[in-house]
Formats: sequence, structure tokens, C-alpha cells
Amino acid sequence: MRKLGPSTRILALVALAGAVAAVAVSAAGASTNRHTATTITGAGSTFVQPLVSQWISPLGSAYGYELQYSGVGSGAGIAAITARTVDFGASDAPLSTDQFSACNGCEQIPWALGATSVLYNLPGVKNLLHMDGPTLAKIFMGQITAWNDPAITKLNPGVSLPSTKISIAHRSDNSGTTFNFTDYLSSVSPAWNSQIGRGVAVNWPVGSGGKGSSGVAALVSQTPGSIGYADVFYAIHNHLSYFAVKNSSGKFATPGLRGMLSAAQSDQKPAADNSLSIVNPPKKFANAYPISTFTYVIVPLQSSKAPDLKKFLFWAVTKGQTYGPKLLFAPLPKTVLVVAEKAIAKIHS
Amino acid sequence: MSTAELSAEATRRPFTGRRVRFGDVALQVVAGAAALGVTVLVGLIIWKVFEQAWPAIQKYGLGFVTTVAWNPVLGHEVYGAGSFLFGTMITSFGALLLAAPLSMGIALFLTELAPNVLKGPVTALVETLAAIPSVVLGLWGILVLGPVLRTTIEPWLHSAFGFIPLFGEPSTAGASIFTAIIVLTIMVLPIVSSISRELFLGVPHDLKEGALALGTTRWEMVRGVMFPYARGGIAAALILGFGRAIGEAIAVTQVIGGGVFIHWNLFSGGDTLGSKIAASYQGSTTKLQTASLIYLGAILLVFSLLVNLLAQWIVRRSAKKHGITRGGHA
Repeated sequence: MRKLGPSTRILALVALAGAVAAVAVSAAGASTNRHTATTITGAGSTFVQPLVSQWISPLGSAYGYELQYSGVGSGAGIAAITARTVDFGASDAPLSTDQFSACNGCEQIPWALGATSVLYNLPGVKNLLHMDGPTLAKIFMGQITAWNDPAITKLNPGVSLPSTKISIAHRSDNSGTTFNFTDYLSSVSPAWNSQIGRGVAVNWPVGSGGKGSSGVAALVSQTPGSIGYADVFYAIHNHLSYFAVKNSSGKFATPGLRGMLSAAQSDQKPAADNSLSIVNPPKKFANAYPISTFTYVIVPLQSSKAPDLKKFLFWAVTKGQTYGPKLLFAPLPKTVLVVAEKAIAKIHS
Repeated sequence: MSTAELSAEATRRPFTGRRVRFGDVALQVVAGAAALGVTVLVGLIIWKVFEQAWPAIQKYGLGFVTTVAWNPVLGHEVYGAGSFLFGTMITSFGALLLAAPLSMGIALFLTELAPNVLKGPVTALVETLAAIPSVVLGLWGILVLGPVLRTTIEPWLHSAFGFIPLFGEPSTAGASIFTAIIVLTIMVLPIVSSISRELFLGVPHDLKEGALALGTTRWEMVRGVMFPYARGGIAAALILGFGRAIGEAIAVTQVIGGGVFIHWNLFSGGDTLGSKIAASYQGSTTKLQTASLIYLGAILLVFSLLVNLLAQWIVRRSAKKHGITRGGHA
């Protein structure tokens, strides 16, 4: 009698191994990194990763440091620094009180300034379209569903908008960009704030999720009538259209360096934990782009590598900032720089 | 093959009365160690998964399995597996439903109908399908398949069969449960069809020729002889394919669109256990969220084990019924 061929058994094993591996991967914790004297390891935010990657070679030539950074996501970065398997973590959302106490003697330092662009795809409309916060919140709550809704046409006088259905694209993974975006929606819309709230992932009432900025961009670029969001550099680099967003002064601002810097001026006094909130700044900041954000590096106050870590961080918040603008990260404003330098000075061995 | 059988195989022939050879001992040690290693590894994985999921198991209990909720916003945190379990079932069953007739057709074509010149190349092509990395299939799904389904097939099905809840209003983005089903079908297809092909090849020639000699048509021979003969094996092959579909994460994450909903509309978004883990584990911010994600993994693990056991049971039962021993394991 003929037996089932060997390929059957192999396939069976492969199927089982696949199922097991899927779970094993999900169960695996943060990886540990080995380091030598001059290696500085970090993990976290993917938002800030392009900037940190730019630092590797100049840091090598300036101090002989070898910088290793894994863009594993803010949450995993926080977990890694909490477990002290890296020298620093990076997170786009400021740490919660629980996370601070878990991290046991950590501080967060603002070290980059970026913004989130609101993407759209509306074939046949060439104008730079305008948007405001309350309308955006209603769109993302599924209350405004067509492009020619009065709320949108009112913001865009003289532009003839089609009756195309709006479809929403959002991140399906956890992301600092999502935190920035929902933080903004929460601050402009009480309904959003109470029903959905802010976070690196939220319970989206409508729309499709894409994995990563590229996933959102793929959905937006293929779907006429869609609206999504991504960090500015990604949007510009991939030639995606994005809205000019109305700020508190009534001006429609684009997510450029000027808009971010103006928004950054709005929070001069960081909280005790060094967190700064600059979304939807007051109207005094006339040029502000309202969906801007600081992103943070998280370090232990006591580190065996304190001298090297301090040297690296001082470099990052000063010289390192000059690598930002071409990636659409604005250099840290002076006041924030002072805060950052004070915080860095507290690190000891 | 189960590990118990592996070690049984290794000890089947005792060395009584014969010179003990180094090769035999080495074989026994190596094979035994391999079997033991895998057993221990699986045990450790299961233990670790449940240990890591414990905070969520403690908080939500078994109610987690049916709760439809997933809100990671701090202060509003609540988690449940209901919608993901539903999404997993609907995508896997959907894929199976499409893959079953297709792979039977492929297998019959390759064993009975194809001219010899075609057999080799087509077999190779079908098996190549199994070698495409799932992330590549996912990319193809989001860039090519999704838009095609969204612009042509989904609207057509909706207008023709819209009265069936399954074919509801197509979501305007290309990501949907339907896209995920098609991608999964493509993944399941080579597994089921190559196993079925082997099963059909295993049908004894005298049985087939006997049927034909009795004047049956080719279709009657296929229906009356080949299908009954291979029935148990085919069921096991389908269940294996089902197991593959349940566990697939990456490609599904790329095309399914996400969302914590239970609905019957195939043309709208959803999530599966695997896709939720793949999308959310990285950057999970709280302990409870991480534990809940691993709880999803535990559910998936239990599910996959059950599916594999079911496949083995079906094959055994069918082998017993036919009074024949075939591989005996899936």
C-alpha cells in the first residue's frame, strides 16, 4: 500500500512549526544587546529612526562611538530601557506615570521635533486643500462621509469638490504618529476626546488599517477619495498630497519647519517629567502647524556608561539637530535645548 | 509524525542476538534526542505563552474569548478576542471553501487528465506557489489584488448578490476580509493540492481500471473510486490547509484592513488573531495590552493544536474504516 509521501509529513511539520513560531515570536521579549566600551545601544520609536540613522557615521568620526539603534516601536523601546537591555529608549508619546515608576529612575528628554501630515488622494483637484481640526475629527469619526460636505467646501472656497465618498486610512500598528494625530484630534474635538481619546493605537470607529506609514500610504494612494496620515518626511518623499491645516489663529499652515518651530514656541515650560505638548497651540503662534510633536529619548539617571551617554546626548541635541531639517525634523528651540541639557547633566554613574 | 511514533520507530527493532553496531546506537541517540528536543521545546513554548498571558487571563478569564473589544487607549483599556476569533474563522473557512474545489481540480488534472508534457511543469508551478514568502503575497495583495477586487469584483458581486449579507457594500479602500480570503486561498492551495495529488496517485491502478472496465465514465470512476478511497486523506489535507490559514499573520495584516467589528460583510475590514498580534505586538505600551496579545497567541496555539489533532483523528478513523493502513498521520 502506498504511503503518504514524505512531502505530506514535511508539510504537516511546516504547518505546525509555523503555528508555533507565530506564537513564539509573539512571546519573545525585547532582545538583549551586547556592548563593548564605546557602543551605545538604543531602541524604540520608528518615527525618529531616520534621524538617528543619520547620526551613526558622524558620531563615529567625532567620538569613535558605535551607535546601534533598532526601530522596534516606542512601546518596545520603553520596555527595553525598563529592562535596561539598552542604553537608551526612544518614545514619541511621553511616558505615563505607570511607565515612569516601572522604569525605576528614568528620565525623558525631548530630543527631536517633528510633525504629522494629513494625506489625501482626490484625483482631479489640483489645489492645495484646506482642513481644520473639528472637521477632521468628524471625518475620522465617520460623521462626514463625502468630499462635497458643506464643512469641507466652506474651508475651500473656489474649489469645486466632487461628491466622492471619503475613505479613511489609519495605522493598524502602534505608532507615535498615531499618538500625535489622536492627541491633536482630542484637543480640538471634545467628542473625539471623550469617545476615542489619544494613544499610540486607538479604537478607530471607521476606516481601514495599514501597517506602517507605507501601509497607510499604499491605501491612500490607491483609493480615490481617501484620507490618511503619516510623518511629513514620508509624505513629501513619496509625493503624497497633504492638507494645509487651520491653526488657532485661523491661518492654514503646512507641515514645514517654520510651522513646527512656531508650534514649538507654544510650550516653553515643560512639565516635571520634561514632557511638552504642542498640538493645537494658541492663536498667538500665528504660523504654527497644529499637529507637531516633540519626541523623547528615555535614559536611566544612573548608568554605568554615564560619561559616554552624556557626551552622545549632548551631541544629539546640539550638532545632531543639524541633520534634522532635510528629514523634516526642526532643530530644537533654545528653551527646549536648555531643558534637555539640564536633564542630560543629571545622568550619573 | 508525532514524537511518540518517532521514538517507537527508533525502538521497533531490538538488537537481540545481533552485534550492537555504533551506527545503530548513534541513530537511536540522535533520533531520540531530536524527538525529545522538539517535545521539550513545544512544552516550553506553551508554558511561556501561558505565563506571559497570565495577567490578561487573570483579569478577563475565559470571557476574554468572546468579548468583542480592543481599546488600547490609556484609561479606557479593555481587551477581548471575540472579533479576532470571528475574523480568523471567517477568513480560514472562506479560504478553505475556495481552495477545496480548486485544489481537487488541480490534483485530478495532474493525476488523471493532464498530458504528460504538462504534468511536470504544472506540478512544479503549483509547488512554487508554496514557496512565495507570505510577506510578498501580502504586498501583492495590497498593491495589485486589493485594487482589482475593490474596483471590479466586489462591486459586481455586491450588485448581483447584494441580498446575501456576505456581499455587502464594498469598503472604498482595497483592504477587506475578502482580500484576505483570496490571499489565504492562494497560500492554502499548494498544500492541499499537492497532498491530494499524492493521495490520488496512491489509488491502486487495478481499482481504477476495474471500474473503467465495468463501463464507468471517467467522472464516475473519479467519484466512485478515487474520492472514496482518498476521502480521509483529503479531509486531513483540508484541515492542514485550514491550520495554515488560521496561523497566517503577516500577509493577512497587510490586506485585511483592521477593525474591532463582528459583521458578515466580506467586503469590509476586520482582523484575525494572527494579524492583530502582528500589527500590535511591536510597540505595545502597557503590560495588560502585551499580556492580552499573548492571550490571543495562546488561543491561536490551542486552536492550531486542536486542528492538528482533528486531522490525525480523521485519518486514523478513515484508515480503520477502510481496513487499510496509510501514513496514519497528517
